[in-house]
Amino acid sequence: MRVQLWMPHWPVKCVPDYSIGTVATVFTRVSIVIVTLSILCGTLLTFLLAPEEAQAIPAFARKYNTNCMDCHTAPPMLNAFGQRFLENGYQLPGVEDGGSTGKKKFGDLNLDDVSEYVGFRLVGNAVSSWGFNKQNPAGADAGVVENKTEFTFPRNFVLFAGGTVAKNIGFMVELGHPVGEGGAEVERGFVTFNNLGSHNLAHLRVGKFDPNAFSSYATVRQQLSDVGESQKGGCPPFSPCAFNRVGLAPSAFATKFYGLYDRSGNYLSPFASSLYNSGHETGVDVHGRPFGDWFLYQVGVVNGANEHLGDSNKGKDVYGMVRFDYAKSNYFSASMSGFVYQGNSNAKVWTQEDVNWNRYGLSARATYQMVDVYAAYSVDKINKTPTGVAGLFDSTATGLTIGADTYVTSQTLVSLRYDNLDAGGMLAQRTSASFIGVQAKHFLRANVAIFARSDFNLRQSEGGDTAARNLRNAFFSGIDVIF
Amino acid sequence: MRIRILLAIGAGLAMLSIASFANAVKPEDNQATREKGKQIYDRACLLCHGADGKGDGPAGWFIGRYESPRPRDFAGGSYKFRSTPSGELPMDQDLFRTVTQGIPGNMPPYSGLSEEERWQVIAYIKSLNKAFKGGKPVALLLPNPPGPPSDAGIENGRKTYIKYGCQKCHGDNGYGDGKEALDGNLKDTYGLMISPGDLTERASLKNGSSAQALYRSIMTGLDGTPMPSYADTIGGNDKDVWDLVYYILSLSQERP
Repeated sequence: MRVQLWMPHWPVKCVPDYSIGTVATVFTRVSIVIVTLSILCGTLLTFLLAPEEAQAIPAFARKYNTNCMDCHTAPPMLNAFGQRFLENGYQLPGVEDGGSTGKKKFGDLNLDDVSEYVGFRLVGNAVSSWGFNKQNPAGADAGVVENKTEFTFPRNFVLFAGGTVAKNIGFMVELGHPVGEGGAEVERGFVTFNNLGSHNLAHLRVGKFDPNAFSSYATVRQQLSDVGESQKGGCPPFSPCAFNRVGLAPSAFATKFYGLYDRSGNYLSPFASSLYNSGHETGVDVHGRPFGDWFLYQVGVVNGANEHLGDSNKGKDVYGMVRFDYAKSNYFSASMSGFVYQGNSNAKVWTQEDVNWNRYGLSARATYQMVDVYAAYSVDKINKTPTGVAGLFDSTATGLTIGADTYVTSQTLVSLRYDNLDAGGMLAQRTSASFIGVQAKHFLRANVAIFARSDFNLRQSEGGDTAARNLRNAFFSGIDVIF
Repeated sequence: MRIRILLAIGAGLAMLSIASFANAVKPEDNQATREKGKQIYDRACLLCHGADGKGDGPAGWFIGRYESPRPRDFAGGSYKFRSTPSGELPMDQDLFRTVTQGIPGNMPPYSGLSEEERWQVIAYIKSLNKAFKGGKPVALLLPNPPGPPSDAGIENGRKTYIKYGCQKCHGDNGYGDGKEALDGNLKDTYGLMISPGDLTERASLKNGSSAQALYRSIMTGLDGTPMPSYADTIGGNDKDVWDLVYYILSLSQERP
């Protein structure tokens, strides 16, 4: 069954218009090839001319006068040391000094010291090239679903401030600016109270945070990050709303259901990250390693309901996660995590009936020298199908993501990611999808990288106008700067 | 007058107590100390240096990837940062200094651990290497720097820099771009490519950037790297060593 790509009803704009078609520059296939070759040549030249030094200096590295790679396998993904640094509330593993190392007394502070707390990330695709099986299908926004190459940089600018304010008290604020959505928003902002009771027994986070920060495969740390989804503009509340292009976020983290709405009636994209993997929920959570390094627990309660701020429903969502680690020697580490996320009236169907939308998931990761392999599998389930959609709604959906990164030189990382989404929700709309993406990322410095990436739709043979099927392939080349 | 005397005595006592504090909290090197040290090591050091101290911790590969440095192999490897002659084990104070100050660009400073905890973890680290049971290392004599550098002294330091071939690795102007470096001939004992220090950037001097720290590096060398000890060559001529030190320090002064 094919998805309806359009709903010709009220022209009320109730969801953000992610379309960038109005500023797009359209090229012919020949020009795409020329641009692609130019990028490859430019990349090659940059490789040859780039300085060999790979010292990095983002905020935490500046503060501790060390290297980004102490904490990262390849930014933004963390290695075992970086994970423990994060868990310890931005204090070195095994230390409860409030990050006082490198700090000066108040009277000695100067502007340079601010850089130990403040950083930014600028990331985007300088060039995006889209290929579709069917151009401008009925219902899609004009000029979005067509083969073309666009200059799109930057896509996202994030200003962040973080660190410790006292012994065992840390904070993090991320002010993001997704260019496609306009404006700026606090993506995450929270305070941590660490080592409550005894060392590593309990760390508390309060605020707007990413619930899935500590599992084996964290939501907000992707080598092949979300490229931005384009959803049909002008969709009325509680009506199916087409999306022009998928954002290529990991399927294991995605909503997976067609026909779910937030409490304001905005259509929830089946391909956007949500629930435990939303990247930003407001609430409280606790994590710790009470029995040693091999075991980590996490429990939390958040507003849920896919609301960035506030809580319009009366219930709260709760979750729990356990993680088992092996990290001893031989440049090897491995972990496995399992979580349960229990929703409470956290979404609606088109009849405006509430549903309890839950997620259960597993993730695993193994790192050996230059190779990093990770995977996540999740099952989304709506326990009781609302009577208004009985017989029309599949209440179970699954998502699988498998990824691997490997350094082929000291500065070049090659990544591969496979995604499979077996969609649920409204039977008349749901469309499953499988994608595979490959990326080459060259770190000019540990904190400055250029990349070229291509994503392919493995189900293109099934055809169809839906964005999940209609996308043939997508090519991106851009830069990722973290200072 | 009496108040001044009392203040002077008080200040002297305060300085004395601060100076002796590090050693005052140094616990006896026994089984209990090493066990406490192991607990600290497991949560603070293991992730880079590995469970057995071989420098192969789960996070240890990424700092240089295919290039140097890798975390120190406490069990069998040589020690870079010493005040002892080349090929010797480090003094306890050398290990304490490295743990406390870290290594710029590679290892964060662990001054967040209490001094007692740092001594405990050092006792454990030493237990990983049998050589520490063999004898007590003896430090080279590190004299205090002479008076302020003169232009003539710095010029002599420049000549000494050339005379002893420092430019082959560190480059004519100290940027770490000498011919040996550019040709890729510099490797550490693991066979990994290694870059010479950029002498114009004090923060990149891993064994410290004070005049005395530079003197120490020249005299002891950095074992396990291509940086040799010059104790047997220039060591007999203290004036040339200090002139070389001041010349190196002059390279990192702000330039117009």
